[in-house]
Amino acid sequence: MVEVDGIENLEFKWGKKRGTGGTNTKVQFYESFTYDGLDYTLYDNVYLHKEGEPLPYLGKLIKIWETASRLKKVKVLWFFQPSEISNYLFVELAHPNEVFLASGEGVGLANINPLEAIAGKCNVVCISKDDRNPQPSDEDIQMADYVFYRTFDVGQRIILDKIDGKIAGIDVKFIFNQSGSLKPCSIHNFSVDEPASENAIETNGRVVMSKLNSSENQISEDDRQVEQKPVVAENGFNHKAEENSDVKASSVKPNLSLQQEVVPGVVSESGELAKTNDRSGDRTGLSLKIKANADSKLKNPSGEEIGCVNQVKSEEKLKSVKDTVELDERPHKKAKLDNSVKVYSDKETTKCATEPCGTAKIPSKKLKIDDKFKKSNNCKSPAVPSNDGIKTGDKAMEVTRRPDSDRSKWFGELPWEESLPDAHEFGKLVLFQNLDPAYSSAEVEDIVWNAFSETCRAKMVQQTAYSSPHFGQAFAIFKSREVAEDVIKKLDERCLLLPNRRPLVASIPNPCFSRKQSMFAGHLIVDKLKSQREMKEAVSTSHSSQPNTVEYDMAMEWFLMTERSNQFWKKLYEQQGKELKKLRVNFKSK
Amino acid sequence: MESGKQNEYAAFEEKVRRTVYLDNLSPNVTESIVRTALDQYGTVKSVEFIPNYLEPRNMPQCALVEMEKGKQAKVVISTLSEFPFMMSGMPRPVRARAAVAEMFGDRPRKPGRQIRICWLDTADPDFEVASKLKQLVKRHATETAVMLKHQLEKEEKLAKQQGETLKANYKKYEMIDSLMADGAARRLARCYNLRVSDDSGPSTFH
Repeated sequence: MVEVDGIENLEFKWGKKRGTGGTNTKVQFYESFTYDGLDYTLYDNVYLHKEGEPLPYLGKLIKIWETASRLKKVKVLWFFQPSEISNYLFVELAHPNEVFLASGEGVGLANINPLEAIAGKCNVVCISKDDRNPQPSDEDIQMADYVFYRTFDVGQRIILDKIDGKIAGIDVKFIFNQSGSLKPCSIHNFSVDEPASENAIETNGRVVMSKLNSSENQISEDDRQVEQKPVVAENGFNHKAEENSDVKASSVKPNLSLQQEVVPGVVSESGELAKTNDRSGDRTGLSLKIKANADSKLKNPSGEEIGCVNQVKSEEKLKSVKDTVELDERPHKKAKLDNSVKVYSDKETTKCATEPCGTAKIPSKKLKIDDKFKKSNNCKSPAVPSNDGIKTGDKAMEVTRRPDSDRSKWFGELPWEESLPDAHEFGKLVLFQNLDPAYSSAEVEDIVWNAFSETCRAKMVQQTAYSSPHFGQAFAIFKSREVAEDVIKKLDERCLLLPNRRPLVASIPNPCFSRKQSMFAGHLIVDKLKSQREMKEAVSTSHSSQPNTVEYDMAMEWFLMTERSNQFWKKLYEQQGKELKKLRVNFKSK
Repeated sequence: MESGKQNEYAAFEEKVRRTVYLDNLSPNVTESIVRTALDQYGTVKSVEFIPNYLEPRNMPQCALVEMEKGKQAKVVISTLSEFPFMMSGMPRPVRARAAVAEMFGDRPRKPGRQIRICWLDTADPDFEVASKLKQLVKRHATETAVMLKHQLEKEEKLAKQQGETLKANYKKYEMIDSLMADGAARRLARCYNLRVSDDSGPSTFH
């Protein structure tokens, strides 16, 4: 039952009706529907696929309707991943799978989407200790894809612990766990599986099933496949798989969240399966490229891991490479991911004691790093294998592109004018000096990434007529004060040499953000002659001064002064240039 | 993809050529003022003020004005350098210069630029030199800051001086005006048998 066509053919059925409304009563609201084999009810938590975005978003259905023109729409209240809001706030997670519900008013709270964008159901459990919230059991929390108890106010851009009466116009009782939804929710998922799950998953299941039946030592591989499905399918397969896979699944559960976006990827991996949406198509293309790169990378000396990978069957390799793609596109979780990868890979190696399982993750980490190379410097692919400096960082390393943390830019990054003062207040702002003035902000971010493995937002300070031509400056906003201070300390104690033998200098700047300028020398007014109103009108004109006026003479005086100061500046910078050159000559190496 | 980047960069360089860097702008100057002011020289495509975070507070504003054609930009620069151009106040003229790439905030990467970085430890022979360089850079930065302050002080002095001369001149004119107005001059003229014409004082400074 291979699905050949696209989404259009996925089955759909309306469920319970709710009422009509809208500007013309042709709009029909619904309370539930069946789409692609899954039953959705109002206030369910779902994954949404946005056109052009590689990863699905997490949201809660708060309105479902069909328009007069037979278009099916849903209004979705968003959940935020910590990475998406870490740009604005220091986020300390209570739980590794914590997400934040949107609240407040403003852009990013909720959106209307076509129903077809829904990519699956998601199990989000509310762990708020609020009285109104039916408390989930530990098992519920374990089984959940995500948990939340805090909200992110999109208007004020802060995290709120308390949940008010209404969020986005809907009553909080729909935000909290639905009574009776905790345990039954998981059952719900199971039952969904048996008939027609998302077609793709089902067919994949067939593949998995056949594998299960085939050989004993393939179990771990299958488990890997199993792990990568969202809760929906995964629980179902757990029933069918062996016991140890059950155990494994729960231990690996928290990792799921990091990999659930593989769903469509996993789908297409089997090759024959048709793509159900473009996203997976893109992934295949990318993964094939990466696979080629991965092959070349495997020659790199790195111990037994590579050897193990060689043992892995071809689908497995493709799959792990696919992971790489996914993982790579979520680098802001890299720190967490690496830790969890290590932890779980360890657990698994002990539990299942088959290498492909554990190593599939480790090379994925390595491949991720190498993928960075591939992504950024396409023209340098022959050079890639020779470049192993990225890991050691002791000798000269090539600065490569920092992986894009696109998700965190959902809000459209806060404009610099706003984020700078905030960052400075929290101590996250660092001023870099002695950069090459020709660098762009992106290059500064790359340098920071390569030198410190830290992401930051950087902006080159724009040069003015008085800026030194010898060096450039840049502001950098780091994730936290500790990171910023750490970077500065490192740069003080050791030396980071940029090309052309420039050591990077970092400090906490003392910028002034107030817009008000107290005075501007040089504009004179004749008090008695002008009333306020006249002054304003006169001031808005601009003109070239004519030689027969008093102002012309005065302007000439200003000209003279600026000429003099230009000379001063020129001399100063020449002098500085000489001093720099003198010192540079003393460099012994190169 | 490489050619795309190169195109992007080439387009950026072209934009730089078409852009004028305006300096010595008063804080009252807004984008629309700049636009109307420079419209006489050609089409203004965009105006971007350069934010001032690190320089002293009283530094005059500066802006990047992108013109439609490179030639127009050149005309602006040459005219403003020859004849004093006033914007939103007098008599301090606005200064125009050719823009350089480093003045732009959002510039694209230069394609093909390779950056190699490396860490030095205390054991490294070059560490000493590098530390000295760091010190030097810091010193240069402070020197620049001091220069800027110095310059601002000089500007203020000049402005004050001009202000006083202006006031003195103005007082003189006012006096003459009032004399003409209340007829004292005429009376005096009759007294001394002199002819006095009746045109008002030449105060072109409004």
